[in-house]
Amino acid sequence: MTILPFAADSSVAAAAAGTPAARAGRWLRWPALRPVLLPLSFAAAWLGAWQWGVDRFPQTRSLLASPSEIGAILGENMPLLFPHLASTARETVMGFALAAVIGMLLGAAITQSRRLEQALFPHLVLFQIVPKIALAPLFVIWFGVGSESRLIFALFLSFFPIAAATAGGLARTKPEALRLCAALTASSWRTFISVRVPFAIPSIFAGLKMGMTMALIGTIVGEFVTGQQGLGYIIMFAAASADSALTFAALALLCVVGLAVYGAVVVAETVAQRWYGAPFVTEGFN
Amino acid sequence: MKAMSERSLSLVLPLASAAAIAVAWQLAVQLGEIPEVILPAPSSITENLLRSLPSLLHQASVTGREALAAFALAVAAGFLGAAAISSSKILREIVYPAIVTLQLIPKVALAPLFVVFLGIDHEARITFAALLSFFPVLISTAVGLANTDLSALWLCQSLGASTWRTFWSVRVPFALPHFFSGVRISSTMAVTGVVIAEFISAREGLGFAILAAGARSQTAGAFAAIALLCVLGLALYGAVAGLERLAIRWYRG
Repeated sequence: MTILPFAADSSVAAAAAGTPAARAGRWLRWPALRPVLLPLSFAAAWLGAWQWGVDRFPQTRSLLASPSEIGAILGENMPLLFPHLASTARETVMGFALAAVIGMLLGAAITQSRRLEQALFPHLVLFQIVPKIALAPLFVIWFGVGSESRLIFALFLSFFPIAAATAGGLARTKPEALRLCAALTASSWRTFISVRVPFAIPSIFAGLKMGMTMALIGTIVGEFVTGQQGLGYIIMFAAASADSALTFAALALLCVVGLAVYGAVVVAETVAQRWYGAPFVTEGFN
Repeated sequence: MKAMSERSLSLVLPLASAAAIAVAWQLAVQLGEIPEVILPAPSSITENLLRSLPSLLHQASVTGREALAAFALAVAAGFLGAAAISSSKILREIVYPAIVTLQLIPKVALAPLFVVFLGIDHEARITFAALLSFFPVLISTAVGLANTDLSALWLCQSLGASTWRTFWSVRVPFALPHFFSGVRISSTMAVTGVVIAEFISAREGLGFAILAAGARSQTAGAFAAIALLCVLGLALYGAVAGLERLAIRWYRG
């Protein structure tokens, strides 16, 4: 009598322990893990070939350092590299944040009037197409070679995609939804907040992602042109003195910055979508 | 005024606002006595542009040729790469995550490396600009080729069409809008890439002209070169948009 429940309990426990194990077994099967394992092994094979190639042909070392050398340099020079990393990250994030606020406000402002939109939207699109990067030397004349100069250049590059995407998204609200609002006599402010903005969320975030990419590009090109500090400056300096290990170390840090700031926008997008509670689909890549 | 149609308004208003901005700029510079070094007036930029037109046109031809070469390379490589990726599931699973990651990291920072690898001549700038403009074509074409209408593919299968035939007559036409949206982005990236490379290494080209004028505080000269560069960028973009219309009309018969 006393043993039976115990036995039953243990079999239940065994079954309970068995189920997750079985599930884990299913998960570990090859097809399910393929999308993770294949790219990882591809990257590992790539790194291995790189390491082997440089070890085999050491004369290429001044052009192309091996992954292990790059890792060693990265560890050794971290105290030196960190201030440059911080400078690049700070200019990118602040330039982007200012561009996001100004771009979204201005994008929303020009869609308030049909005439204003007709007058200014083509300019926003035109500015998207022309190579604005060419203005970098002028920002040196206007704002000097300091941190503000690069920050403002990042803001400038980042502003246009955000403003254009906000204006475009707000202008493309479904007409049926707007007619419904009019029929329900919703105020124009209410319509804007409850209908236009949610409809524009995917477009706005597509613009923000583009804007974040442009802010980082702006900071890097600004660092190339001003040549004072930042990872872009380190890369240019190290490449010019044929220090390929340091060049690649700075590039690796820059990739981390790029993925981190882009990831932050993606997280914000997920939060915004959850907040508005609709399965929005963001258009395209970027 | 009221008789003006919506269509003509959407043409007149942008031009009018552009003219208004130019006039305001001119007046602000003249009345505010802003120094020429900080902000030259539109009139002095135009004057500078006309005066140095022969040398600027030469620089523009250098930049234009490099951008065109980079663009052509990027479109060809991007299309072939996308065709290869979409032909094999295992290749797609291996390469696609790497491509998306590469798309996110700032490739602009690679510019100095290209100088180290390929020197300071055309090849380095063309290769760098081609690398920048390659990814948009690759990714959008791959997406387009993957999004072919399934029922169209089933139809091809039941009609016994060869893989090659299905690719050219069904997959490519379906992918055309995606392909061209990538190509349009790529045309702007090609010009941007050449300009960045010219900032770093060149002794000629519009990017070099802008940098040199900026360094000598000849702001009007820099603006004149920038204006020409904008014309170059718009011409390339316009050519692509025109080709897109032709191609889509051609494929729709």
